[in-house]
Amino acid sequence: MQIEGKFTMKAPIQEVWDFLLAPGTLASCIPGAEKMEPVDDKTWEGVVKQKVGPITVKLNFTQTITEIDPPKHVKAVGRGADVTKAGTFSQETIVDLKEVAKNEVEVAYRSTVSIVGRLATFGERIMRAKVDKIGKEFTTNLQEKLKSRVGGSK
Amino acid sequence: MIKDFEYFAPKTLKEALTLIDKYQDDCKVICGGQSLLILMRQGLVAPRYLVDIKGISGLSYIKDEKDGLKIGALTTHRAIEKSSVIKKKYPVLVEMETRLASIQTRNWGTIGGNICHGDPAGDPAPVLIALNATLSMAGTKGERNMPVGDFTLDYFEVALEPGELLTEIQVPVPPPRTGTVYTKFNVIESDLATVSVAVSMTLGSGDGVCQDVRIALGAAASVAMRAKKAEAVLKGKKITDALLTEAGEKASAEAEPISDIQASEEYRRELVKVLVKRMGNEALARAKRA
Amino acid sequence: MKKELKFKVNGQPYEIYVKPKTLLVEVLRDHLGLTGTKRGCNSSSCGACTIMLNGMAVKSCSILALQANGTDVLTVEGLAKGNKLHPLQEAFLDHGAFQCGFCTSGMLMSSAALLSENPKPTKQQIKEGIDGNICRCTGYNSVIRALTAVVKGEYKEAK
Repeated sequence: MQIEGKFTMKAPIQEVWDFLLAPGTLASCIPGAEKMEPVDDKTWEGVVKQKVGPITVKLNFTQTITEIDPPKHVKAVGRGADVTKAGTFSQETIVDLKEVAKNEVEVAYRSTVSIVGRLATFGERIMRAKVDKIGKEFTTNLQEKLKSRVGGSK
Repeated sequence: MIKDFEYFAPKTLKEALTLIDKYQDDCKVICGGQSLLILMRQGLVAPRYLVDIKGISGLSYIKDEKDGLKIGALTTHRAIEKSSVIKKKYPVLVEMETRLASIQTRNWGTIGGNICHGDPAGDPAPVLIALNATLSMAGTKGERNMPVGDFTLDYFEVALEPGELLTEIQVPVPPPRTGTVYTKFNVIESDLATVSVAVSMTLGSGDGVCQDVRIALGAAASVAMRAKKAEAVLKGKKITDALLTEAGEKASAEAEPISDIQASEEYRRELVKVLVKRMGNEALARAKRA
Repeated sequence: MKKELKFKVNGQPYEIYVKPKTLLVEVLRDHLGLTGTKRGCNSSSCGACTIMLNGMAVKSCSILALQANGTDVLTVEGLAKGNKLHPLQEAFLDHGAFQCGFCTSGMLMSSAALLSENPKPTKQQIKEGIDGNICRCTGYNSVIRALTAVVKGEYKEAK
């Protein structure tokens, strides 16, 4: 499922861009992420833990920046396989920056989280709502991170 | 592909509590297992210790007392379904159980297990919330009680602390001129609810002003939820068709359903709107006959 | 570590040792060789694994074997008496109430449980009695006809 939204920030577009692309910013927004570490300047690896009721999921997660068009557009793709082989999470995030006025940036985001495997078929009812929540949490984390580091928002 | 576990079958509540207090998050409790085994068979839940409480005596009962109905947590759905005293005094519980899963599941699964599983699509929770029911839990530190509405916290999460077991459900005697009804929409009978609605309406003496109303929705949010804005439309007023329509619309707006393989969010909202009005009408009719 | 399971199946006492994770359907099929009970779905939805435990219809794939300790289990193999088929089995044969046969054991057991609780069900009650058993082939009407015939007394119980 997909989440879309936008918000405005009072900051120069370059500053927002630099922070967005700073090592680990996007990776650290992943809910439940522990020990995300850079592999190279576009890739991070780590462990993501999530819990829904009786089901705990521990994923070996990798996130890679696949599209980059400074300072306007970035796309990051993530994949996490559950350590017990119960399923795989996929995540895709696109962030577009647009300068709407001097020192005012509109941040538009689109985030998709999906899940396949036994967690999806048998756990569908349980995981579905959680997947939605994770998607929303990611974008909230992103917003907070940007706002707190770069400047106030409108 | 269930993973191996160490198995205990305590015969008393005290034994069971000692075990689950000892093993805390490393253990799961099984009773009928009609929800848990599905997850365990798929390897989605793999506890190291399994405490089987099906054999505990004294926790399966139906008591019709002066202040209300007392149901032991280990009572099977089928026992509730077939209880003549419940059919006479709390018929909505029999109606709910009749539509719960299939006979095979009802013969072995328990009402306590169902509530503790915390599935927002579960049938008992919205009905018990409409009935203003409470429940009791026991732990090594003692007993505590709470309304059923406070017990479910989130998707598949309930207010049981590690080391606690649900022991009893209490349904108070409904006030005079009260009607409580339940329905669920599903595609195949014996399926979980796509959306379910329970309404309890109490009429004042006189010309049918709604003194109190409780509307509970199932499979329309992360827990069985009270549609309080919908209730506010009806409470204290004489029930009319227009008011019920408004209540349905309010409930539809305040629900938080998700889209899944069964139905879209929009369709679930539509179901809430229609079923709240329909059940409002039926609760009113039942209250008038009460 | 295996635990002891002592129970009766079709009137015969058994004492076996099983791992706690063993399901009742696995004990019946793999340990006792009673393969009449089928595993249809692995998701507790189809009812093909239905047996009677202490007189109640239950899904044997959704019960841990150890929970059957001290109980009386009846499987489809226990319906016939020697060479004489159970009235339900006769009726199912006569009314074509099965095609591939995979749901049939479960369907027979649910039917047997229904009639033991309510010997004279209405058509609606018959439908409700088998709504936990999914059939891909018959469309259910032949099953309902077979049950209706038994309820009407068209088949004699074997002595």
